Amino acid sequence: MFSDVNWTVFFMQLFFGLALGSIFVLLASGLSIIYGLLDVVNFAHGTFAMLGAYAVFVAVSLSGSFAVGIISAVAIVALIGVLVELFLLKPLYGKDPLLPLLLTFGLSVAVPDLVKIVFGLTGKPVAYPEGLSGATLAGPLILSNYRLFIIVFTLVILISLWLFLKKSDLGMIIRAATRDSLMVQVLGTNTSRIWTIGFALGTGLAALAGAIAVPMLAATPDMGVEMTMTAFVVTVVGGLGSLGGAIVGGLLIGVIVAFTSLVAGEYSNVAMYFCMAVILLIRPRGLFGESGRE
Amino acid sequence: MTEPIESRETMLRDVNAKPRSTVVWAAALVLAALPLVISVPLATDILIWGIFGMGFNLLLGYTGVLSFGHAAYFGLGAYASGLAMRYWGAGIWAAIAAGVAAPMLLACFIGALAIRRRGVYFAMISLAFGQMLFFLALSPLKHITRGEDGLTHIPLAEVFSLPLHKPVPIYYFIFAITTVMLYMTWRILESPFGRLLRAFRENEERAKACGYNTTLVKFFTLVLSALYGGLAGALNMLYLNYVPLTTLFWLTSGTIVMMTILGGKGTFLGPLVGAAVFLFLQNTISLWTPRWELFVGAIFVAIILAFPGGIMGTIRTIVNNRKTARLQKRAPAVPSEG
Repeated sequence: MFSDVNWTVFFMQLFFGLALGSIFVLLASGLSIIYGLLDVVNFAHGTFAMLGAYAVFVAVSLSGSFAVGIISAVAIVALIGVLVELFLLKPLYGKDPLLPLLLTFGLSVAVPDLVKIVFGLTGKPVAYPEGLSGATLAGPLILSNYRLFIIVFTLVILISLWLFLKKSDLGMIIRAATRDSLMVQVLGTNTSRIWTIGFALGTGLAALAGAIAVPMLAATPDMGVEMTMTAFVVTVVGGLGSLGGAIVGGLLIGVIVAFTSLVAGEYSNVAMYFCMAVILLIRPRGLFGESGRE
Repeated sequence: MTEPIESRETMLRDVNAKPRSTVVWAAALVLAALPLVISVPLATDILIWGIFGMGFNLLLGYTGVLSFGHAAYFGLGAYASGLAMRYWGAGIWAAIAAGVAAPMLLACFIGALAIRRRGVYFAMISLAFGQMLFFLALSPLKHITRGEDGLTHIPLAEVFSLPLHKPVPIYYFIFAITTVMLYMTWRILESPFGRLLRAFRENEERAKACGYNTTLVKFFTLVLSALYGGLAGALNMLYLNYVPLTTLFWLTSGTIVMMTILGGKGTFLGPLVGAAVFLFLQNTISLWTPRWELFVGAIFVAIILAFPGGIMGTIRTIVNNRKTARLQKRAPAVPSEG
């Protein structure tokens, strides 16, 4: 039934899907960490990713190095995240749980306009970093080096994130505070600072997603909301507040988007929402969601 | 001689004043005179968004459910009524009926899937469904919806031989419907059902423990809210004689959230006041910069931080505080009971 050519197309599309999904994984894991720790659904998550993309653009045009670009993007956006958490979110804790969502929504309306004023309306392209621009041949498959890099890079980030959360003291405190923040505070840890660190970590991951996506997409002011929506869909599919769910959900959505754009191009934007509706029907709490948290 | 003192019940009722139906008629009077003060197109927009907001407020303000995908109902109402007029030659009332029915059906579907979920979860899911409709209208259904161009060539409508494509007749047509919806909203809120909604918002667990089916009531409110959204969408179609794709855009959902919070969620007049202030700000800021979203977004963030009750909510708190203070001052004069 499948000829060799069809299998080649299949694997190519799978590869595209995994690369796209890797970006979704980074986005959604940041969202999940923030939700798990602070109980805040960060509507501005994609906006932070957009800021990361612009930070890469600025840093690359100043320094010429993509590595410097990525590092400074994460540092700058995490710092912005710290400021947002300290001055805007902190006053809302303990009040109506919808208020932080609404506040970050307000940011996602205002900040893109600020970016438009500073950088203009047109997208800012960033060239593929040197050494990652070509493609690698693997049998009949032509794998773009940059997409390979995205997959490997995401893997490295996830492993270091896992090691950080499982092995370091700070990671242990973050996991404990995700379970029961009050108890951690009773035991003598300043959870207020842990929350700030958690928010910075989440926004840093968002910035990372925006930063590695930028050579493929170019940085545009309105890319943020699109990324927020994707992160929401991935989170609903994978399960809110679950890191494993963010990984599996992200890859799944990436692959689904890649295959629908091959089979039925005009449905490529709709496919992930359909997927979400189906998941909600058969498993409302998401693939990896804990029951009771939905 | 001491002055006559009201009984304690009267005093308490006074503090928790319910909107009397005079509120409805006073609001209608102001809206009737609105085109004399501001431009007719701005006034018409205020009415349309006001109706949309009233329905949204029932859901967010009185039931405590945040939907981030209300553009789906507004846009579907606009498209359903516009398509009915364009392709089936439907009359104006049939078109409005279609524009109300289709969003209510959609709300049944979304509600059945998601209304059980926790607050933030429902917000995310409704947003995603809103986006799904936007992308469906953008490309797969392009041959019907005309995609990015929006739905055009809708026949001009007349009602009682009034030409609805002229600014003043359409304003007063929409005004009449707004008054009906204001009165209906007031009746809903004053009914036992309306009290139930507030009970849920205050303490859902307790309402559940009292034996009320909270899921069912939330579901009904969502469908009811879709009725308002669809009606507003259909009226918007009649007013513009056109359905832009942006009626389904996420920013439309965001706008109704911002208007309702700005005006005061959970207050009767909040959505109308919010729509008026928001549209006035938008129009004024647009005069000197196209970047109005920056200012409106920043104002919204400030409102969330400083006055989460919005304009009408803050006014209500101040009035209530004054009343309580006045009553407390008089309190020693109240003879102790028993």
